[in-house]
Amino acid sequence: MIGAAIRKDVQLLLRDRGALVSLFILPVVFMLAFGSMFRFGPSAGKPEPIAIWHVPGDPRGEAIVASLGKAEGFVAQPAASADEVRRLVAAEAVKAGLVIPPAPEKVELVIDLAAPMQVRGPLQGALTGVVMRAMSPIPIDAMPAMVEARSPPGIAKPLAGISSFQVTVPGNAVLFGFFISLTTAMAFVGERRTGTWRRLLAAPVPRWKALLSTLVPYFMVGVCQLAFLFAVGVVGFGMQIAGSVVGLVVLSLAVVYCAVSLGLLFAAIGGSEKQLGGIGSVVLLVMGMLGGCMVPRLVMPAFMKSIGMAVPHSWALEGYYAVLVREGTSLADLAPNVGVLLAFGTAFALLGLALFRFER
Amino acid sequence: MTAAALTLRGLGKDYGPRTAVHAIDLDVVPGECLGLLGPNGAGKTTTISMACGVTTPTRGTVAIGGIDLAKDPLAAKAKLGLVPQELALYEELSGIQNLRYFGALYDLAGAVLAERIRWALDVVGLADRAGDQVKKYSGGMKRRLNMAAGLLHEPELLVLDEPTVGVDPQSRNHIFETVRALEQRGMTIIYTSHYMEEVEALCDRVAIIDAGAIIATGTVRELVAAHAGKGIALELKGDIDAAMAAAAAYGEVERHEHALRVIPHGALAPLIAAIESTGATIGRIESREANLETAFLALTGKTLRDAS
Repeated sequence: MIGAAIRKDVQLLLRDRGALVSLFILPVVFMLAFGSMFRFGPSAGKPEPIAIWHVPGDPRGEAIVASLGKAEGFVAQPAASADEVRRLVAAEAVKAGLVIPPAPEKVELVIDLAAPMQVRGPLQGALTGVVMRAMSPIPIDAMPAMVEARSPPGIAKPLAGISSFQVTVPGNAVLFGFFISLTTAMAFVGERRTGTWRRLLAAPVPRWKALLSTLVPYFMVGVCQLAFLFAVGVVGFGMQIAGSVVGLVVLSLAVVYCAVSLGLLFAAIGGSEKQLGGIGSVVLLVMGMLGGCMVPRLVMPAFMKSIGMAVPHSWALEGYYAVLVREGTSLADLAPNVGVLLAFGTAFALLGLALFRFER
Repeated sequence: MTAAALTLRGLGKDYGPRTAVHAIDLDVVPGECLGLLGPNGAGKTTTISMACGVTTPTRGTVAIGGIDLAKDPLAAKAKLGLVPQELALYEELSGIQNLRYFGALYDLAGAVLAERIRWALDVVGLADRAGDQVKKYSGGMKRRLNMAAGLLHEPELLVLDEPTVGVDPQSRNHIFETVRALEQRGMTIIYTSHYMEEVEALCDRVAIIDAGAIIATGTVRELVAAHAGKGIALELKGDIDAAMAAAAAYGEVERHEHALRVIPHGALAPLIAAIESTGATIGRIESREANLETAFLALTGKTLRDAS
């Protein structure tokens, strides 16, 4: 009977273009859009042009241009005058510029000081380093290294050359993967509205089986959706899996379990298909936003990060980030994330079961 | 001794402080077609829902073919087929895809399911359109497919809840013929409808339900004889309203333009005298056969009912 329900729901889904687009196509479009917007990493994106002007023949200016040329991620864009540098920055043609007057006057870093610190800080720091490197009396390369970047123990080494798609594919997979909860809830509401639920209750089918006959097909659709989205990520966007593939699969199963359980809770709370489509979508988008699906949680303020831990999306994303980016991430490393997702899913399911009315 | 197809004992349902159905006792004999009539909000759908295991009763018991629904719901429900009032179908799927799914609910599979689907489609006259999406069906075709979905497992007891709502005369006639054919095969049928002539034409026995209780049962003839009485139609000239008011003291009166239809409580002479005392003149008197509708109205009254 469950098999017949799966066949029926897949047949229904295949005829529902709107659901197919929102479950399978829209996330790919978002991955592509966000991936292109937030290109980072050595292999992605072009070096950032920095407008620069110095007095012709000034050795300090030439040294800074040379230092900028060596710096990873920057390229010098010579300007005709100091004012031209300022104009280019004001017009947002470049993100920053350097005006180098003859020594001993200070080098002017031209940058919009009103820009958010998250954007301005790294740029300002890197360009200050470029200038200091050029003006150091001793070649910096000849000096003993004073700082060495290392990951702390317990955090695996990241993949070399992380592309933005390592982040945007799981972000959108989680965001849209949780939309299966709405599809599930709407299936229940639709069954009630058309009377097929009544027919199901009059059939010799135990009530637990009636419930499963709606949940299981959408669990399977959710698994297919995530498999499709990660396959697109790997094949279409060159996404790599740094850790255990088994870990990725188990984590994805936990995500779908959690999402379908949330669908049961939505269905139990009730409302029409229209209400679910409106309120449910907003709830899922807010959960996705708090969970870091749209903007990485790394750049969120501390209180937002804390709130984010209260939604399953953040645990899912953290797990995906580990397994996709950190080499050697095993299933055991993902156990806390899988465990929390299963706990969320079980809580949603129990609350849903407590509130669900078979005879509404 | 053969068990009753359906036995309801003290069956009732409360929704909070409101009682929808009090305590219904009813036996449906195997092979009969029982009409269940009642005004909107009388408790028909609640009673049927409890009888089919869709709604849990607050009190009382249901037995289908002698099997207690509460004790062995799966065995009891296997004997039952429900054709709900709603078009309980998946519009995006084809007729045959719908039937495959609904058949699977009764553990039908493979060749048996294919055979049952062929039979049900033949019975409802949809064999040639089985592959079409249901949303492309007419209202009558949807009703017939709705019926086929309840027939697939050849239930001992078929419950038809308003099966002809919104259908064209041809489809209605086909549904009638199907019901008759199923009854001839020995199937027990419970038929609810607002159309009295359907119940008169199809049902061996009728139960009238009102305000959550069964207020009368019997054959159509028995109900009419007991509750309708013979009626007369009086064609009048003069003050019809005054004549109607005068006649109301002597019978159940209904106005039809310049005529009054009256079911007298007793002899005709005082009724005619009362009408003539208002100055109205009687042009013609016709004797009218009472029918199930008159019996129904006599039992349930003429006050408008709205579904709750």
